[in-house]
Formats: sequence, C-alpha cells, structure tokens
Amino acid sequence: MSAALLEVEGLAISFGALRAVSDLSFTAARGGITSVIGPNGAGKSTLFNLVSGALRPQQGRVRFAGADVTGWSTHKLLRAGLSRSFQITNLFFDLSVFENLRLASQVLEPMGRALLPVARSTAARDRAEELLGQFGLAEKATELAGHLSHGEQRRLEIAVSLACRPKMLLLDEPTQGMSHGDTQSTAAMIKGLAGDLTILLIEHDIDVVMNLSDHVVVMHQGAKLAEGTPAEVRGNAEVQKAYFGENPGGETPGGEAH
Amino acid sequence: MAEAAILRNAVEATERIARGGRNLLAGIFVAIALAFAVFAGMTGDTFFFRLATEALIFAGLALSVDLLLGYTGLLSLGQALFFGFGAYVSGLVLKNVAPSFWAAIGITLAATLLVGTIAGIISIRARGVYFALITFGLAQVAFKVVFNTREIGGSDGIIGIPQIRAEFGLFSVDTQSPAGFFLLTLAFMMLLYAGCAYLVQTPAGRLLVAIRTNESRVPFLGYSPWRAKLFAFVAAAVVAALSGSLYPMLRGLVSPELLAFQISGNAVIMVVIGGVGTLAGAFYGSAILTMLKSVIGTFTEYHLIVIGALFMLSVIFFPKGLAGYALPRLERWVARRRGRA
Repeated sequence: MSAALLEVEGLAISFGALRAVSDLSFTAARGGITSVIGPNGAGKSTLFNLVSGALRPQQGRVRFAGADVTGWSTHKLLRAGLSRSFQITNLFFDLSVFENLRLASQVLEPMGRALLPVARSTAARDRAEELLGQFGLAEKATELAGHLSHGEQRRLEIAVSLACRPKMLLLDEPTQGMSHGDTQSTAAMIKGLAGDLTILLIEHDIDVVMNLSDHVVVMHQGAKLAEGTPAEVRGNAEVQKAYFGENPGGETPGGEAH
Repeated sequence: MAEAAILRNAVEATERIARGGRNLLAGIFVAIALAFAVFAGMTGDTFFFRLATEALIFAGLALSVDLLLGYTGLLSLGQALFFGFGAYVSGLVLKNVAPSFWAAIGITLAATLLVGTIAGIISIRARGVYFALITFGLAQVAFKVVFNTREIGGSDGIIGIPQIRAEFGLFSVDTQSPAGFFLLTLAFMMLLYAGCAYLVQTPAGRLLVAIRTNESRVPFLGYSPWRAKLFAFVAAAVVAALSGSLYPMLRGLVSPELLAFQISGNAVIMVVIGGVGTLAGAFYGSAILTMLKSVIGTFTEYHLIVIGALFMLSVIFFPKGLAGYALPRLERWVARRRGRA
C-alpha cells in the first residue's frame, strides 16, 4: 500500500479557450491534510470537480486507494470512499436536519433495506444521531435545514459529507463566510478529523491553511506553481509574487471576500 | 445517553404524527366514499355510482402524477400515455385473450414494466420543463398512433369489451354491479395508495424526495439520480396503467381519447387541487373535479370555463391544495390526541 491515498497525474481540462486546469500532478498522503491554495480563478474548484467525478478530465489520471478512478461517476467514487463538501452550502433545505444526515448515512445500509420501511434502516439512523451530537446539531434535529443559521448550515454541510464514513474528504472552503471564532473551532474540528481520514482542503484563510496542512499545493492559472510544507511554500519566491502579492511575509487579511 | 433517547423520540414522534395525519386524510376519504356507497345504494342509483367509480379510476392516474411531481419533482404532462396503455392492454386481454380480471391486471403490469422503462429512459434524460415537454410529446405520439391503427379500432377505439366477474376465492364481484364494482375499485385504489404511501417511507422513496429537493447533491450521497428517477418513473407508470386497466371493466370500451392531453392535464389539475406531495390529495382532487364537471355541466355547456376559473382561484387561495391545507390541522389534532394518551 502506498503512502498516498490520492494520486493526481497530469490532470487537464479546458472550457473553450480557458485552460482551467493544466498538467496538474500531486499526491495526498494517507491520513494527512493536503491543502490547495491559489487566487480566485486558479482552478481549485475545477480540480475538486475533476477529482470527485463531477467533471471528466480531458487528460491525466486520478488514482484513489490504489485504483484508477479516472472518469468514475460521483456516486461510484463516493461508495469507494471519496466524499466532498461544498463551498456554497448544498443541502436538502426543505428537509429536516436529521433527514439530511439520515439520507447521507443511507449508503451504509445493506441494499436489501432500500425497500423496507425507513425505520428498519437502523445503521443510518444511528450514524445520523451520532453526527447530530458530534456537530452540536442535536437540538435542531427536527428543524428544516433551510431554517438553520449560516454557521449551523456550514457544520451540517461537513456532517453530511462525513456521514458515509469516507476514506477521504474533499473540503471546499469549509470556513466560508464564518466569523473568526467559528473559523477557529472549525479548523480545530478539521484537525481532529485527520488521521483516520485523509483530507484535501481548499481554503482561503491563509492562517488556517498554514496551521492545519501537512502539505500545500499552490495553484495559479490552472497549473501548479509550487508545493511543499507550509513553511516551504511560504518561503517560495514565486508563490510570494503570485499569491501573496508583493507583500513579503505573506500577511494577507483572513477570510478573503468573494 | 438520555439526551440521545430524547432526540430519537423527538424525531420519531415527528414522523409518526406526519404519518398519522396522512392516514387520517386517506381514512376520511374512504369513510366519505363508503357513506356515498350506502346512500347511492339505498336510492338505487346507477349513474352516480358509475361516475364515482370513474372518479376513483382517474384518482389512480392523479396518484401516479403526484408520485412523480410531489415526491420526485418531475412534472409529467403525458401520464395519460400509461393510463391509456393500461386501458387498451386490459381491454384487449378481456376481449381477445381471457375475460379474467387477474389476466387483465397481470398482463397490464408486465407490459407496463417494459413500456414504462423504455419511456422512462427517453424522458428522464431531460430535466424541468424539458422533461414535461418530452412526456407531453410521447403521449401525443402514442395518441396519434393509437388513433390511426385500425387493428385496435382506430379512432373508434375498442367496443364490446365483455363484462366480467372478478374472482377473489371466497367471493366474486360482477363489474356490471354498480355498487360491487365501485367497492372493488375503491379497494383497488386504496391498495395502490397504500403501495405509494409505503414506497415513499422507504429509503428508496426518501431518496426521491432528496432528488426533488436538491438533485445536484444526490450523487454525493452515493446514488445515481438517473436510476432513482427511472425507478420513480416506472413505478408511476405502473400505478397509472393499473388504474387504466379498470376503465374497460367499468365502461365496456376504450377509446384513443384516454391517451389525450386532456386526461393528462386533468390529472395534474386534480393533484394541484388536492395537494401536491400528499398522495391522498389526488383522491380528493379527482372527486372534486369530477363533481364540479358533473354539477356545473348540468347548468351550462361552458362548464370548462367555470372550472378553469375555479382552478385559478384555488391555486391563488389554496396554493397547497385541499390536503396541503388540511394536513397541518390533522397533524395538530393527531399530536394533541397523542399528547393526551
């Protein structure tokens, strides 16, 4: 078994004349937190769409857990253990918080229960209850997801993507729009998830990235500009120029506006 | 641990109350239908028995529309395709193969699984308004084909379909008996309703609701929306066709108009009046629409104008339909009763 859970090799996709991702290669080590950073439009979200099966790459390969998963459909990838959360909260807003989590946990059930009463799906129910507790949403269980506060919805977003007990989680800006306090607690929570779980993270808050990541991939205009440990990336002259601007020391205001 | 138990109780209580409200709504419909049967039986009426039976049959079609629209979020404007298909298959079986209730039902079911799957694969490629247009188009094509195929009666349809006795082991029901066939149809439709109500409370059914609410997230739950939608489409086709299969038993004939847009459109109106996403609403919607047509039709031949105006008013003032209006009230009543018990 190799140390890398996810291996991306020469990945490329263009939308018309725009080369959204070009010749991108990197690996994400098992149990670690790998972050992808870069300015808006660098191709980070497109990369997530390619890895999670929402888009099919025009070139390159994706290997996950030892298998070539290039071009696999999203639902097949999820069953293989690759889950993701969304930058723009993507929940079942008309359904209760509990039902959101129960639906997301349903994949843990044996197929034979698909046409039995939902009360028989005890594994999904137990998983949903566990997540309600873990994410501090127990009191909101019967409320509609659409009625939650922004911070609660962001928590539920991550809880939903964790429900299937994935091997790997792609987190797309989990602290998007959060207050400073919420950002800190979310960062701590993400750190706690790593270990059993391998995390690929897109994050704009550079402090969060530097504190959490084992490995950082810097993207610029669809291509990889640099990669390394947070310290290495911070010290890289090219990265300084392209991402941190002409501002030595890498101090950028946290929570970049969209 | 105590907290977890409280949480589970809260979640289960919410679901029980919702289920209780729905069962009550369906139960009230059955009670009204039985009261009608007693009244009509005592007065020796035939016309209204037949009309009410027809309303029940079309309620089954509306039920299938609601399964797609209210649960999966797919608006079918061509559901009459399957209703008419079921009616024709049933009529042909009764006339040419065997005058047997079970043969008509069984062959309709098998044929619909095939035709529904093919039509589903064609239709669910598209979303939203394009799905509606494809279902509309498919039904129009089928209507024209049936209309122009002389072997199955062309524009005249099939007449002279024999009356039958539906055998149920201990007893049998003569389709010619107004009361008997009304009760048989009521029981049959309630079975279809129970099947749909059961389905939407299974993990597979809940997945359909997830598709209606936010299809884009469903693949990230580990499910193919395509497969789930095909499943819903075929299930709805079966409900529509089985409903249609009773039509020739009631009227002794089938005609191409059973596949016409008016039938599909009426079914959507029934669902909207009754309450989208409630299942039982389809029965109320069908009863109301049939009643309105009959009552207003005796006063003016422009009854469609009156019904159209009433439909618009109901959409404006009761956007959730009759059942959508009644359900929260019934649920509160169920919750209060449970609170006292």
